Amino acid sequence: MKAVELTAVKKHYMLGETRVDALRGVSITIEKGEFLAIAGPSGAGKSTILNLIGCIDTPSEGQVFIDGTEVEHLNDTELTRYRRQKLGFIFQSFNLIPVLNVFENIEFPLLLRKSLSRKEREGIVMHFVEEVGLADRLKNKPNELSGGQRQRVAIARALVTSPLIVLADEPTANLDSETGHRIVDVMRAINEHEKTTFIFSTHDEHIMEHARRVISIRDGAVTGDRVKA
Amino acid sequence: MVTLKIALRSLLRRKSRAATIGVLVAFGTILLVFGQTFTRSAGDASRDSIINNFTGDLILYSERSKEKPSPFAFNTPLPNIQNAERVRSFLAGLPEVSAVVPFTQNYAIIQAQKDGKPVELPIIFYAVEPTTYRQIFRNAEITTGSFFGVEAGGAARSGILISEFQNTEYQKNYGVTLAVGQPLTVLGLTEGGSVNAYRSELLGIFKPRYFKNVFNYINFIDIDTYASLYNFTGVAADSLPDNLTSGLEAAAGNEDAIFGLAEDESFGRLDVSTLRSETLSGFTMIAVLLKDHEQVDQVIAQVEAAGLGVKGARWDQASGFFARIASALQAFIILATGLIFLIVAFIFMNTLIINIIERTSEIGTMRAIGGEKSFIRAIFLSETLLLNIPVSLAAMAVSLVAILAIGARGLPLPDSISQFLIGGGPLTMRLFLAPFVEALVIVAGVSVIATIYPIRVATGITPLRAMGGRE
Repeated sequence: MKAVELTAVKKHYMLGETRVDALRGVSITIEKGEFLAIAGPSGAGKSTILNLIGCIDTPSEGQVFIDGTEVEHLNDTELTRYRRQKLGFIFQSFNLIPVLNVFENIEFPLLLRKSLSRKEREGIVMHFVEEVGLADRLKNKPNELSGGQRQRVAIARALVTSPLIVLADEPTANLDSETGHRIVDVMRAINEHEKTTFIFSTHDEHIMEHARRVISIRDGAVTGDRVKA
Repeated sequence: MVTLKIALRSLLRRKSRAATIGVLVAFGTILLVFGQTFTRSAGDASRDSIINNFTGDLILYSERSKEKPSPFAFNTPLPNIQNAERVRSFLAGLPEVSAVVPFTQNYAIIQAQKDGKPVELPIIFYAVEPTTYRQIFRNAEITTGSFFGVEAGGAARSGILISEFQNTEYQKNYGVTLAVGQPLTVLGLTEGGSVNAYRSELLGIFKPRYFKNVFNYINFIDIDTYASLYNFTGVAADSLPDNLTSGLEAAAGNEDAIFGLAEDESFGRLDVSTLRSETLSGFTMIAVLLKDHEQVDQVIAQVEAAGLGVKGARWDQASGFFARIASALQAFIILATGLIFLIVAFIFMNTLIINIIERTSEIGTMRAIGGEKSFIRAIFLSETLLLNIPVSLAAMAVSLVAILAIGARGLPLPDSISQFLIGGGPLTMRLFLAPFVEALVIVAGVSVIATIYPIRVATGITPLRAMGGRE
């Protein structure tokens, strides 16, 4: 079952008067349940691919299918709804809502859905709080947490809606290596438990080792696609 | 609920900015509520001073007059009301009317003695029926003598009253100080062009209680002295022979026809012993007080429809500029408040934009994980209203306490301002609902308007910003 399909995707944009070709015809197919790393140096196009899959950017050429739907023709409201229902995001800088505590940050995407009772929400949130090991930090605000704890909150927030795909843009870039490894371990454990598709970008060789599949990008083109046994 | 939670906590996170905006909103609200209450109270006080001391709710005047009556200004005297007694009888039958005060305004010369030589002093005056006038209008505070002797309960005496200020002016400009009991000769220019002289006496000296800046210059003469001075005496119509009455009616307005009557033998000789003299009032205005101020237009319409030869002017038309002072002040307060709120809106808008720029990542994140534009809009609108409405309500409460505290004993004003604005004395603050409602609506309106542009900026932030990526 295909979770994502990129077909001959090109992306270019203008930086002042200079045209930048961020992607030069990328075709990728990602199956549901994969734990996949997109690897490459800075400026290779990793984030651009994640942005396209995350429906927060559109390709200049080519097609992007998410769960079989071509997303290019969806309007802003439809894309927002699509992101809410199908995708989870983990950001390099954690991007937690500073005025909400741990519980409230994790609960936030469920509140946007408006379809669950308070009790149902609490049950789901507490499940993922346990998964990421933050049960003793529920009332803490983001500024009272370490970097690793914040990223675990972000992981729980990304997972709480049971998305089809979780996109993580360099999730360990702002963490020390030991914490980074632990975060990837958490993501991988959830991938195994929940069968959620994880796509993360990284240029950290050690993090790449945890991925079951690594797609290498350089200068906007796929230079390698390695599946580990 | 999460919208309110985020909005409230975001406000608390930026306390100093919220406090700055809050202080401005509170100041604007207090200015609006207190200012509007002040001007409305001043308007009411001014109206009461004018109605209860000078004009009544309305003034009736001759329909031949081309000008409105102006007891606050001295222009050419209005034409006499020819049927003053009929008008008074008609008014007496109207249930809406509580009192009727006829008077006139004119000017004359009074002759006094200085070092054995006559000195001529100009005088502007109201000619009044002393008893009626004194019962209704209490503007003159007698300092020496009496108000035509009516305080003693006896019949009114004929004479003159002058203001203290007027007497001081006489001393300053003519070297003459008048004293109560002093005989005076009043000289008046009649409509026919002759000068009449009438012996009179100074009966009292007074200070005006209200609108001193106008009424320091106005004095009083009793209506009998006035009628004699200006020849308001004639032949009673019902004592004329019928054929002469019908002949005069037929010749009305035609001078040749009137003189022709004298040559008409059929009229025979007129027996003057059968004629009876009649004193005409000389009243040019009749102030009418009503039981209910709101009925003024209705009463004017009734009087004008009765064919009495008079028409009516509302108190605010008759008092001209003075009735508009409170309105002008109210307009000024509205303008000043508008300016304050414009500044508040501008500062508020800029503060919100700074907040939004600082929260770009937060907004982008919300958009990325499924927050629609309407959700972002709701957060910023909630922040605005959560700050401004409670602050505004608190400021209203402060204003309310201040109004109630002042209201009981009145707000003391400098005499010159008080005289000009409300006629004099401390301003009794009255409680009105409208300024509170207006303030709430204005604060909510300004808040929403000031948020429109920042919200456009906020909803323009794409989820791509949250990824720290290019746009």
